[in-house]
Formats: sequence, structure tokens, C-alpha cells
Amino acid sequence: MLTLTDSKKQELRRELESIVGQGAVLSDPDELMVYESDGLTLFRALADFVVFPTSSQHVSAIVKLANRESLPFVARGAGTGLSGGCLPTEGGIVISMMRMNRVLEVDYDNQIAVVEPGLVNLHLSWKVGPRGYYYAPDPSSQQACTIGGNIANNSGGPHTLKYGVTTNHVLGLEVVMPDGEIVWLGGKTREACGYDLAGVFVGSEGTFGIATRIVVRILKKPQAVKTVLAVFDAIDQASAAVSAIIARGLVPAAMEMIDHLTIQAVEDAFSCGYPRDADAALLIELDGLAVGMDVQAGRIVEACRESGAREVRTARTEAERQLLWKGRKSAFGAYGRVSPAYMVMDGVIPRTKLPYVLRRVNEIVAASGLRVGNVFHAGDGNLHPNILYDPRKPGEEARVVEAGAQIMKVCAQVGGSISGEHGIGLEKADFMPFIFSVADLALMQRLKSAFNPSGLCNPGKVFPTKKSCVEVGPVAYRPHAIEEKGLAQRF
Amino acid sequence: MPDALLQKLRTTVGAANVLTGVELSPYVVEGRTPEAAIFPGSIEEVAAVMALATEVASPVTPWGGGTAASVGMPAGRPGLVLGLTRLGRLLDHEPGDLTATVEAGITVEAFQTTLGSRGQWLSLDPPDAGRATVGGVLATNACGPRRHLYGTARDLLIGVTVVTADGSVVKGGGKVVKNVAGYDLPKLFIGSYGTLGVIVEATVKLRPLAEQEELMSVRFDRLKDAGAAVRAVAASDLIPNAVELLDGVAAGGAGVTAGSPAAGGVLVVGFDGVREQVDWQRAELARLTAPLGGRDVRPLEPAAWARLGVAARAAFRAPAAVMALAVLPSQVAELMEQGAGIARARGLASAWAAHAGVGVVRSALASDPGLKDPAALAAVLAEWREMARAGGGHANLEWAPLAVKSQVSAWDDPGAAGRIMERIKAQLDPRHILNPGRFVAGI
Repeated sequence: MLTLTDSKKQELRRELESIVGQGAVLSDPDELMVYESDGLTLFRALADFVVFPTSSQHVSAIVKLANRESLPFVARGAGTGLSGGCLPTEGGIVISMMRMNRVLEVDYDNQIAVVEPGLVNLHLSWKVGPRGYYYAPDPSSQQACTIGGNIANNSGGPHTLKYGVTTNHVLGLEVVMPDGEIVWLGGKTREACGYDLAGVFVGSEGTFGIATRIVVRILKKPQAVKTVLAVFDAIDQASAAVSAIIARGLVPAAMEMIDHLTIQAVEDAFSCGYPRDADAALLIELDGLAVGMDVQAGRIVEACRESGAREVRTARTEAERQLLWKGRKSAFGAYGRVSPAYMVMDGVIPRTKLPYVLRRVNEIVAASGLRVGNVFHAGDGNLHPNILYDPRKPGEEARVVEAGAQIMKVCAQVGGSISGEHGIGLEKADFMPFIFSVADLALMQRLKSAFNPSGLCNPGKVFPTKKSCVEVGPVAYRPHAIEEKGLAQRF
Repeated sequence: MPDALLQKLRTTVGAANVLTGVELSPYVVEGRTPEAAIFPGSIEEVAAVMALATEVASPVTPWGGGTAASVGMPAGRPGLVLGLTRLGRLLDHEPGDLTATVEAGITVEAFQTTLGSRGQWLSLDPPDAGRATVGGVLATNACGPRRHLYGTARDLLIGVTVVTADGSVVKGGGKVVKNVAGYDLPKLFIGSYGTLGVIVEATVKLRPLAEQEELMSVRFDRLKDAGAAVRAVAASDLIPNAVELLDGVAAGGAGVTAGSPAAGGVLVVGFDGVREQVDWQRAELARLTAPLGGRDVRPLEPAAWARLGVAARAAFRAPAAVMALAVLPSQVAELMEQGAGIARARGLASAWAAHAGVGVVRSALASDPGLKDPAALAAVLAEWREMARAGGGHANLEWAPLAVKSQVSAWDDPGAAGRIMERIKAQLDPRHILNPGRFVAGI
């Protein structure tokens, strides 16, 4: 990590201001602290500058300046990430995309929109909603997170079971390459010319460049939606119901699992109508044509009952539906009532391995002397164990981190993945060898070199580290600012 | 080819799996004969062959069913054909996970047949499914009409194993349907035409088979009106799994005109789901299209599905060229009319068919026995490409004689992104042995 002298810093600040204007550059340590971490407050790192460009040309000029000075740089959206992916681990420049937040174009005939990366995910659906359209990827932080951040992490959400994750909805991107060149990858058409660089870019965690314009698909809102809550006395039955639904040839829009601890926390906090004594509940949503919906819902109910559900309830009104979803979506806020802190894990397993893996998760956490709440995307096997702990108790946080590593190993052992939607970032860089060989990682490094040969663009992420960044490491949990404001939850 | 190398190859894969001399006739592309065709029986053997090829810098052309062998430019120098057909097993299918892992050489048809017997399918319907292999379909990003709802390989491939130029065996992605660990290598290899590595295994997402599926055709006197119907369908509540637009010539080629040719255009729409859904959508389609001039709404036989993806080229006994144009969906009908006019102005007939809902259009030029000058063909193709580019799209040649491809490049210009593609190629295949010169930007 390089240190800048005060005079050099002043000089660079003036130069950055000449690019983006006064009031768009931060270099005061107090101001920089706001940007020292993302939604995973376990890691912190201070930048030398935070800048707020408003155009692709600004971003390009900043990146060229960074190259000239050999300063690392990293793009940042709303900071809701959960893997430390946007941290300036080696100092340098944080390029905040929050002032590039416009919807540039909506083409309803072709069902596409062109947006800037700082646009808040949900704001796109608000924009196109009155015309009967929406943007499908719905990460749980969608009230705060940005489309640019979604691009970096290839974000998912509850409804990605049916509709796919971010990459399935991105057609093209204007990118400021790590050397400052502005290049379009893909475009507005459904097929790229040459390699699918837009597909390769999405999910590259900010290490391939900075997206400055994004072409996304917008979808017609479904004609009808039906939401079902199935209640189980044993979590294994709920897992079996997931498989039974799939086996009946049904692909719901969403299929979410909420376990006993989580139900109790949610009911204490918000009274959403989940039975407090249930061991698990499945929240299942169907959408599509109005006709035929009842037939399909009937099959879902049947699959749940045959798997042992003691109660299966269908939301009769939109208010009832919203209440059921509130139970799911407010789970993370509710943990705050039962524990001073928690850490959310993100792993993926084959759906059929759910019963085994959930048992192992509970065993691992119990052996650490801690508690775990599970609320997750059961339909696609994307687990989110939330380990509850008290950061004031010495050693407890270290046990959480250790349990998390063990859970990731279990996911890897059953043929799963160490991240379904939160990304590798800093948090899991050292877990990569759980699922990738030396040759696999070497090929990824070569791909990175093709985009980012200098390595200045978001260094220290994705790949296993040599633990070189001594400034970065586990520190005590504290809620992120946006979390405190209730703008984001940890899903 | 040095005898010593041939001997090493025979030792590696078994003498019976190395073809030379007259046995190579099925692998002749554009009149160019490879030096040998090698058929490894395992990933390890593929890796060993690649290591040998790298040692002598011999070009390698990965080969599945050979259905797309003439797409792009032929290798500049002769080399090895690396056949994957012996790697044809279904390795793993867990119905409860809706995923399956296959070796690259399994044919799409064989894979679908097994899946179908278990009530599932890979929601990709490329042409020539009886010959096309899964590896080849991925490498060429092939698909069919059902892409309208179910997307393409990029939406279905969740894991891939590749043998790289230096003989390393590399995995990308995994076996789970949602996964953001590491870079998205599956995307890199889809549509890379064997220029970055040899796909040897693939893990894909599956879907349950729909209970009902129906393909409906609607005739229009004017193609323009059919285009308006495409937009009406897109803006409606319908959830079709295919939206195809064919001009009169291509409709004849696909056999969807019900014996009465000379339609201006035919709209073909597919629906699937439970019976109630299919029934409702069929009626809704008729209701939506009637005011726009649609008539003669009728179901097509299931065999019509397979003909739709090749409708343009099937319109002529031996088309002189086939082009694939990617444009905005709203531009499709107009582009088809304009393109046919461009050909007509030069005295050539053409056929046009589109996956209209996604803006992917295919056009075929009739061969004119009197026409000996490839320049005339090239001129039409160049104008078609300009037409696609004018609307922000692009166009690639899917088939044309070498004499034509030497005048109008097989691939469109990827622009500034081409330099990144070159850098990727240089990183993954520094000696340029994988299909050298075949792909965009001379890659």
C-alpha cells in the first residue's frame, strides 16, 4: 500500500476537482470513513479520495489519472454489498457512481431500458411500472442497492428462481476499461458480436472495469400472482416439499424457507401471522397467466400436504400477500431483537441436499456455542444461515468466522458453491480453493489480465490472498449506516 | 504431419481413433482437408492431444456433429480435427435438482430423449438436433424458436469443463443453478467457436416438460401487418414460448403456409403450459391479430418446430448464402422487406425468417445458376450488413462460399471490444492453435 505525501494529496485533489468539479471530491479522513466498509462491516479500509463523477468521460479521466499515478481505484454503488467487494483495500480512489443515477432511455417496444450504474434497483421498476413493466432482479436490498452494484455481483433475489439473476437481464454495457478507454460490450440486441463480453463482465466484481451505461431488459408484469404459505412441524418436511414441487413439474416464481428461530423473531417484531410454534415455513409464489393459476396452486398445496405440511394457506388479498412477504423480508431486521449482532452466510447447494446441509449447518453452529437462523431461497438451493452472536464477548466473532468457513466447506463438499449472490470480494477470497483448482484460478487470472493488466482496478478481490493487507481484517461488528436507517437488510 | 507425431497421437487415443487419408472426407471444410482427425475417449486423452498439438503448434479444430463446421473462416493452415463424439455420456441427472451434466459429444437429441423419459428437457432447440452435439451447440451458441421464452445457452449453462490450448483441464461455474463464485467462465466459452478451449463437459439447468404445447400460425397479406402483430403480442399478457415471423418464401420453406403460398407474411406463435393456459392463449392470439389483418389461425403439426429454425435456408435447394442479423425486435418486419428489396434489385431471390420477438433474423439468398460472379452475392450481403448496422445491430454470415467470404467478411466488426477479445485470445491461446483465424477480428 502506497502512502501519499500531503502535498501530493493536495495536488491530486486539485486535479480530481478539475475533472469532476468542487464538491465532488472527498479527502478528509472524517468524510472518507463513511466509505470505509460496505454492508459487511467486518472489513474496513480507508481510501485516499472518494470522487463523484457524473459522466462516462469523468470516470475515464479519473481512471486515466489513477493509471498515471499508479493509484488503485474501485467503483462503489450504494455500499450494500456483503463481501467487502468495493473496499479500497490498498487505498487510492473510490469512484462513487451515486451521482450517475439516471434512466437514460426506456424503449417499451423492445422492452429495454438504458440506465446509469448509480440508479437504485427499485427506481427502475418505479419508472416503468406505470406502463405495466418491471425490472426482474430483486435483491433484498433493492430499495437501496444500485444496478451498477448488481452488475458487479451478478445479484439475485427471491424471484430469480423463475426469472434468472442480473446477467440474464443485461444485454450490453458501456464500460470504462481499467486503462480509461470507453468501450461498449454487447449492446441493445439480443446477440453479441464475438465473445459474450457483457456476460463475462457481469459478476466480475468490479475487477474488469467500471460500467457507466447499462442496457437491461424490462419485463411485462405478470397478469396474476398467487402466494402460498406452507407450515411444517419439521424442517426436513419443508425441504422435502421443495423437491416435491419441483418433481411435479412446477417452477414457482419464488420459493423461500423461513426456519423456527426466524419465525419467532419475525413474529415478536412484526406479527406477520406465521405460526410461532412451526419448525419451518415455505413461502411460495406463482405468477403468470390468470387462467390456470388455480390448477397450479392446487398442485403446490397438494405437494406441501403430501410432504407433511400441517397447514397451507393462500393469500386472498394483496394485503395478505404483502404481510406474508413482510415476514420474509423483515427477517433480518427481526434478528436484531434477539441478538446484538449476526453475520449472514451465502452458500449454494443442490436442492436435493437441503435436509442434510441444514442439519450440518445447525450442528456446526451449535458446536460453536452459537445460534443460527435460516431464511433463504430454498427453490434454488441458495442458503443464508445467519449466525447470531455478541461482538462484545471476546472470541465470539472469531468463532462465527470459523463456523462460516466450515459451512462453506460443507456447501463445497456436496457439490455446491461458496456464493450464490453476495460475491467473493474480500470475505471469501481465501475460500476459492474450496471449489476451484489451481488451474481454474489460473485461467481466471489470465482472463483478468486481459481486462485489467495493471491490476489497479479493484485489487485484492476474488482471488486467494497472501494475507498481505494488514490493515484489513476482522474487526467488531457494527451496523452499517444504511442498515441503521432501515434501507438495507442482510440477505 | 510428421510420422512421429501421428504415432504419438495413435498411442494416445488408440490407432482406430486416428483418421487419415481418404477417411478424412467428412472433415473437409471449404475444400481444405485436415492432416488427421483424432477422437479421444476421455478428458485426459483430450488434454494429451492438446499438449501434443501445442508442442508442434498444430492448429486444432474441435468438432462435434459438424453442423456448423463451415461457419466463419477455415483455418489458415491445415491441422487436426479433434472429434468429441466418443465423449458422449450423460454423466449425471438429478431430476430433483433440475440439472444434468453431460460429456460434450452427446447429441442434443440423445440427451433430450433421456431427459424426456424423466419428464424434463434442456430448453434449447437448435437445428439438426440429431447430429448437433451439446458441446457444439454451446461453442456456436446455437438455439431455436423457443429461445423467445427460455433464452439461449447463456441462460442455461451453469458449469463447463474445458481443455485449454496448453492441455490444462479447467472448470468454470459449478453444478448449482445459482452461483457467483469466480468469473463467469461459461459465458466466455459460449459462442467462442472453439477458439479459446475445447469444451469437454457441461452442466446445464433443465426445465420440466410442459403438459401441453401448441404452435399456431396466422397468415397476413402484408409482412408489415405481421410485424405489427408481433408488437401486439409482445405488449399483451400472452406468454408465448416462440414468436416467429416468416416472409412468404420462408414460410414455404418451413411448410407453414398450409398449401397456399404467396402470403405476405406468416406469424407463428408457440404456447405451452397447462391446458387452460394454452387454450386461453390460442383464443387471445386470434383476437389480437384479427384487427391487424391476421387470418387463417391454425395449429401446426409438432414437426413444424424443427423446420422453423432453418426456414430461410430451407426455402432454397442450395442457398448461395445465409446471413444471421441481430437487430431490435421492433425493426424486424421492415428489415425483412428492405432486405428482400435489396436482393431483388440485383435480380436475386431471398427468403427471410426471424425469431421476431428477440430480433434475430435469418436470410438466405437463392443461388442463381446463371450468376457466376461472387461479387454480386457479396454486394447484397454487404448491403444487408449495412442495413443491420444502420439500426444498431450486426450481421454474420452463417454460410457462404469461400469466394464470397473473401469479399465480405464472415463476421461483423465488433468495434473497440475486438481488442479485448484479442487480448483474451492471446491470454488463453498464446500460440493461436485453436481454430486460428476462424472467428471475429481475425481471432
